[in-house]
Amino acid sequence: MRNSVNRPPTPDAVEDQEKEPTLQEIINIKMIESGEKEKLMELLRERLVECGWKDEMKALCRAYIKKKGTNNVTVDDLVHVITPKGRASIPDSIKTELLLRIRAFLASAAL
Amino acid sequence: MSSKINHHHQNDKTNGQIFPQPCPHLADFHARNGTKPFRAIQDCLHIKPPGGRAAIRRDSSEVPRCGVCGDSSCPRLYACMACAAVSCHVPPHSSHVAIHATKTSSACSHEIAVDVDRAELFCCACRDQVYDRDFDAAVVLAHTTSIIQSSKPENLRKRRRIDYRPWSPDLRERSLMVNNASPIDSMSSSNGDLPRGLRGLNNLGNTCFMNSVLQALFHTPPLRNYFLSDRHNRYYCQSKNGVRLCLACDLDTMFSAIFCGDRMPYSPAKFLYSWWRHASNLASYEQQDAHEFFISMLDGIHEKVEKDQHKPRRNGDCCIAHRVFSGILRSDVMCMACGFTSTTFDPCVDFSLDLEPNQGSSMKTSSTKTNHSCNCEADGMNSSQNCGISTLMGCLDRFTRPERLGSDQKFFCQQCQVRQESLKQMSIRKLPLVSCFHIKRFEHSSVRKMSRKVDRYLQFPLSLDMAPYLSSSILRSRFGNRFFPFDGDESNTLNEPSSEFELFAVVTHTGKLDAGHYVTYLRLSNKWYKCDDAWITEVNENTVRAAQGYMMFYVQKMLYYKASEKQGTS
Repeated sequence: MRNSVNRPPTPDAVEDQEKEPTLQEIINIKMIESGEKEKLMELLRERLVECGWKDEMKALCRAYIKKKGTNNVTVDDLVHVITPKGRASIPDSIKTELLLRIRAFLASAAL
Repeated sequence: MSSKINHHHQNDKTNGQIFPQPCPHLADFHARNGTKPFRAIQDCLHIKPPGGRAAIRRDSSEVPRCGVCGDSSCPRLYACMACAAVSCHVPPHSSHVAIHATKTSSACSHEIAVDVDRAELFCCACRDQVYDRDFDAAVVLAHTTSIIQSSKPENLRKRRRIDYRPWSPDLRERSLMVNNASPIDSMSSSNGDLPRGLRGLNNLGNTCFMNSVLQALFHTPPLRNYFLSDRHNRYYCQSKNGVRLCLACDLDTMFSAIFCGDRMPYSPAKFLYSWWRHASNLASYEQQDAHEFFISMLDGIHEKVEKDQHKPRRNGDCCIAHRVFSGILRSDVMCMACGFTSTTFDPCVDFSLDLEPNQGSSMKTSSTKTNHSCNCEADGMNSSQNCGISTLMGCLDRFTRPERLGSDQKFFCQQCQVRQESLKQMSIRKLPLVSCFHIKRFEHSSVRKMSRKVDRYLQFPLSLDMAPYLSSSILRSRFGNRFFPFDGDESNTLNEPSSEFELFAVVTHTGKLDAGHYVTYLRLSNKWYKCDDAWITEVNENTVRAAQGYMMFYVQKMLYYKASEKQGTS
């Protein structure tokens, strides 16, 4: 089959370029494969329960549901409402601890 | 914002739980797929030790990705129940799972999906979480096949109920009552507005620890009713044949003295002497610990009664002390390697709670409020942690929180056959009629050979709902948001006492560890009275709220007389 020189790249090639994984994705995959992500999730859950963050979020959700009525709230609404407050109120000690763990993992995985 | 679809979900109550009606898509799914469409999912679930979180089973190295965009890092990935296609849901940006739902045809419905990491159902068309009994049953079954359940202990078999038979006195009984009773109205009216049963107790030499607990016990409704209705008659008590002492008889003497209407302070000398003979190691004029006295006294009442009647200690039916105060605690120890859970049930007569450092200190929010001036009470929410106040419910939360046992306390796991690190969690299997909460304010460190007192203020409510600390609630939360009835729920909820309690007495401690004073605050007809040894005064509710609680007594709401009922009348 004669191919025109000016033919644009095939769709597959374009898709491949878009699908080139970012560094974030690579780290995520490596962490899941080694099981580190699971461990870190458990650690994070434990810390957030200990410091009362989970109870705080629960209380926020309850208040929101009370305000709107139980039949008028979806999971997405709740997630949308508490995400900014949740992110802001995570204690620095927990952030530090997790960052150190991730850094240690990256060093050991030689990325 | 995400488009809100109006759900006309009616809630219906079953077993005391609110169970939402299925959305039309879930109902449709059921209709298409037979009676038990979710049972097959049991094999696809993986229960992760130690907490027991349910997730969709996958190879440990497998990375779930959205089938449309290939994203693996988004927090919510859903697997379609019909075709197992995984899609992401990232409102309000994109929801590939909602797009997937549009593939629904008359042959196959792609509207119901399950969260890959949490094993929770999602309706892609309604864009909201949905709940299904059958699905939750599958999750619970997946749990129980991975955990070997311990056999039900004997003391949980349901008690036989006796039919209620009404009674009214016949002529002979009526004349007996009239001849041997005196009207009480004439006595109470001459003593102003103080309710019956309020009488000071003289301090016999550092005995405020005893006086404070006695005052609380005199007004413990089931205990007071037992003794005032002559259920333990000190004249006919068989244990006194010979020189054996009976603490219950001495208590009966005191009840009669306290409620007779005489307002002069009473000296509980005889009781003190009897108690010294029972607890000889505590017999001295030194200040003792009020809680220690409380336990020792209940033990004394139990011991003497059991010896006579040979009643086995089952379900707390052995003596009045246990019938009133005894509850059952459940302790779960979960192996962190394999998830095997060992469960034990222990009776308890009170709850000793730690008063640990403020949780509030690690969560600095913009508003800094001092302890007492905080208006958290008005909010009605559990926002006390923002203000940094310790509350009774906070202590109970800590009591029932899963606790990691240190590496020096490894527990022998029957499944792994080695000692493993474990997670321990306490919960309340059966609530007593009267709950006594003891706050551990006195720390004795054998390592440092010193003791100290924790003075920090603890906020306590007038009404308390213990439902979140019951085994049924704790187990339910361990499995996530499920509606399936659990092991803890097996007893008929109609016959079981409720979990709502009312405060009626507070024993407070002021001063230092070795030089302090106990005072009791009693709540009668919704008024508060301060019982300071021989002096009884009416006080404001705020005084009580601000006091340093050491032991708090709560009675089941149904046994608590409302303020509208006047004692001694009707």
